[in-house]
Amino acid sequence: MRVVVADDVMLTREGIVRLLEDAGVDVVAQAADAESLLREVRLKRPDTAIVDIRMPPTHSDEGLVAAQRIRTDHPEVGVLVLSQYVEPSYAMRLLEEYPERIGYLLKQRVFDGAVLIDALRRIDDGETVVDPTIVARVLGRRRRADPLAELTAREREVLGLVAEGLSNRAIAGRLFVTERTVEAHVKQVFLKLALDLNPESHRRVLAVLAYLRDERSS
Amino acid sequence: MARLPVAPADLVRLTAGAVALPYGLAALVVARDRGELTTYAGQSDFVAALAVTAGLALLAAGVVTSFAHRAGRIGDLALLAGWAWFAPFLAGWKGGPPLVLSLAGLAAGVTFPLLLHLVVASPGGLRSKGVRVLVVAVYVEAALSALGRALFRDPFFDASCWDNCTANVFLVRSLPRVAHGIQDVDLWFAAAAAAALATVCVWRLARASPPVRRTMWPILTGGFALAAVTIAHSVALDRMPLEDPSDPTFLSIFVIGCAAVIALALGLLWAVVGARVQRRSVARIVAQLGDAPTPGSLESALAKAIGDPELRIAYWLPASHGYVDARGRPAEEPIAASGRAVTPLVRGGRRVALVAHATGIAELEREIGPAVRLALENERLQAEILAQLHDLRESRTRIVETGDTERRRLERDLHDGAQQRLLALSYDLRVAGAASEGEGDFETASLLGQATGDAQIALAELRELAHGIHPAILTEAGLGPALATLAEAAPLAVEIGETPGERYPAQVETAAYFVVAEAIDDAARRGASYAAVGALRHEQRLVVKLEDDGSARTSAMIHVADRVGALGGRLEIEPTTLRAEIPCA
Repeated sequence: MRVVVADDVMLTREGIVRLLEDAGVDVVAQAADAESLLREVRLKRPDTAIVDIRMPPTHSDEGLVAAQRIRTDHPEVGVLVLSQYVEPSYAMRLLEEYPERIGYLLKQRVFDGAVLIDALRRIDDGETVVDPTIVARVLGRRRRADPLAELTAREREVLGLVAEGLSNRAIAGRLFVTERTVEAHVKQVFLKLALDLNPESHRRVLAVLAYLRDERSS
Repeated sequence: MARLPVAPADLVRLTAGAVALPYGLAALVVARDRGELTTYAGQSDFVAALAVTAGLALLAAGVVTSFAHRAGRIGDLALLAGWAWFAPFLAGWKGGPPLVLSLAGLAAGVTFPLLLHLVVASPGGLRSKGVRVLVVAVYVEAALSALGRALFRDPFFDASCWDNCTANVFLVRSLPRVAHGIQDVDLWFAAAAAAALATVCVWRLARASPPVRRTMWPILTGGFALAAVTIAHSVALDRMPLEDPSDPTFLSIFVIGCAAVIALALGLLWAVVGARVQRRSVARIVAQLGDAPTPGSLESALAKAIGDPELRIAYWLPASHGYVDARGRPAEEPIAASGRAVTPLVRGGRRVALVAHATGIAELEREIGPAVRLALENERLQAEILAQLHDLRESRTRIVETGDTERRRLERDLHDGAQQRLLALSYDLRVAGAASEGEGDFETASLLGQATGDAQIALAELRELAHGIHPAILTEAGLGPALATLAEAAPLAVEIGETPGERYPAQVETAAYFVVAEAIDDAARRGASYAAVGALRHEQRLVVKLEDDGSARTSAMIHVADRVGALGGRLEIEPTTLRAEIPCA
C-alpha cells in the first residue's frame, strides 16, 4: 500500500511514518502543508493520503479543504483525515460529497498501529471510517423522546458500527455472528427508525449520522 | 473717586451725538440763509429736509449702534460720517469765517471714505484682505487730496469752483493746474472706489447665508446705491465741470445720494433691532426647551432662532481634551471655512463649546444670553456623561474582545503545544511498550500500557478543556455547527431550532455561542431535562432564544449580560426563558 502523510508537526508526522513503515506500508511522500500535499498526491498517485485537518497557513480547516480537493481531482485516491476535534460536522462534511474511500479519525487513536492500518485497509476497500468517539457522541446525545430507546442493546451496537462505516461483513466479524444475522439487525434498525434507505448503499453511514444529528429525532 | 456710570468713550459718543444736533441745524440755517445757491440744501425746503434727515439719521444710527455693539467701531464710523455730512453746508456759507470755509471744504472730502468704510465694515469689521486694502487706499487718497488742495488750491483761480470760492487759509502757493489735476484724480478715484464698493455689496448679498442676508440687505442695498450715485456724480462732473446745485442732473444725483445715506442709516438701526429680536427669540426658544431637553435640541433650537440650519455646537470636554456633539460622540473641532465662522462660548471663564455658524451673524457670543449659557452648560454636562458612557461601553467591548482573543490563542496554544506533546508521549509509550513486550518484560509492558491509557485520558480531558475555552468549530464553521456540537455534548436534551446559515462577525458569533452555552449550563443546574434553542437574524440584530423546562432561574446571568451588553445588545431574562438581541450589522 502506498501512502502520503501530511502533518505540519514533524514529531507527529514522523511518528505516523514510523508506524506505517513498521507495518510494511510504503510511505511515498511527506508534506507539511496542504499545498505540498496536493503536489505530492498529483505526482505520486498514492492509494491513500493521511491528512491533518489543521495545517498552515491559517491552521483552521486547510486539511479538510485539501481532502475534498483530492477526492474531487483524484477519485481513486482515498483520504484519511486526522483531527484533534470530536466534531461530527467535520466528518459529515467529508462524507456528504464523497461517501466512499474516506475516513475521519481522532489523532490520538492512530498511534495504536493496528487501528491506523485497519482504517487504511478499509478505505482501500472502498469503505468509510468514522471515529468511534464521534459515533459515541452522536449516539449518546440526550433526546427528549428517544427513538433509540426502542432498539435492543444488540441493535444499538449494530447501529453504532454502521455509523463507524463498517460493512455488514466487518460487523459480523466484530460481533462474532453471521453476515445474515447482521443484515437482519440492520434491516430491523432501519425499520424502527423509519429510515427510508437501501441498507446496502454506501450512503448509509451518512444517512445514519444525519439521522442521529437531526434535532427532530431528539 | 466716584465712578462714572458711563465709560469715557461712551461719554464722548453721547456728546458727539448731542452736539451734532445743534451743529446740523446750524449748518442748515447757514445753508438756507438768504436763499443761498452755493449748497444743495439751499435749493428747496424738500432738499434741505432730506439732506438734514440723512445727516441726522447717520448720527442717530451711530449713537445707537455704538451702544448696541460695543465691540465694533461701526457706530463711531457712522458718527464721524454724520459730522462730515454737514461739512458741504458750511463750505457754501457765503461770508462765513475763512477758517470754517477752508476746513469744511477739506472735511467734505472724507464723507465718502467714511461711508464706504462703514458699509464694508458692517457688521463685524473688515474681514477680508481685499476690503482692507480698499479702505486704506480710499483714506490715503482722501488725505493726500486734502493735503494737496489745502496747500495748492486757491479757490479764486478755480474755474469750476461753486461753493467756497473765496477762502483757503492753508494756501502756500497757488498752483491752479496742480489743484485741477488733484480734482480730476479725486473724481476718477472716487468712481473706481465706488465701483469696488458696488461689487463688494453685490457679492456679499449673493453669498450671504439667509440669516445674514436678512439683517444686512438694507445696509448693502444702501451701499450699492451710494456707489452708483458716486459714479454718476463723477460722470456728470466730467461732462459739466461746473457743479451747479440747481442743475436737474446734479440735484437728482444729490437727492438719490441722500436717500441712499438714509437707507444706510436705517439699515444700521435695523441690524441692531434685528439682533435684539433674534436674541429674544433665542432666549424664548431655549426657555421652551424645558427642564430635560433631549440631547441636541439646543443645537436645533439655536439653529432655528438664528435662522442658520447648518449651525453646529461642539462641546469641549476638558477630561479628554476633545470635542463631542450633544450625544457625546466624538466630534471634529469646528474650523472656520468659507462662509462659516466659529465662535467660542465661555462660561465662568471656562470654554464650554464652539459654535460653527454662518459668517456675519454679528457678535453671536453676545446674542447668546445667560439663559442659553445655562442651557448650554447643562447640555455640555449631559454630553460629557454620554461621552463617558460611550467610552465605558467601548471599553467593555474591548475587554470582552480581548478575553475572546485570549481564549482563541489559549485554545490554539493547547492544540499546538500540550496536545501535540501528549500525542508524542503516548506514541513513545506505545513504542516502548511494544519493545518491552518484544523483550519479554511483561511487567514493564503492562506499566507502559497503563501509562498509555493515562495519556489517552489526559488527551481527552485536554481536548474537552480546549473546546470549552474556545470551540474551533465556531471560528471555522460558524454558529450553526457549533451549536449542534454544543447540543450533542449537553447533559440534557437540547433541540436546536433555526440557526442562521450565514456567518457573522467573530465577536457576534462568540457572544451568541456563549450565551447559549451558559444558558444550557444554567438550565442543567436548575434540573431541566430539555431546552429549545433558536438563533435568527431579525433586521440588524441576531436574536438568540432559549427556553427550558427547569425550575425558576435564580442566577442573574451576569456573564451573559456582560457579553451581550458589551456589543450594545439587549438581554431579557425570564424564569425559564432567555432572549438576547445582539447587533450584527
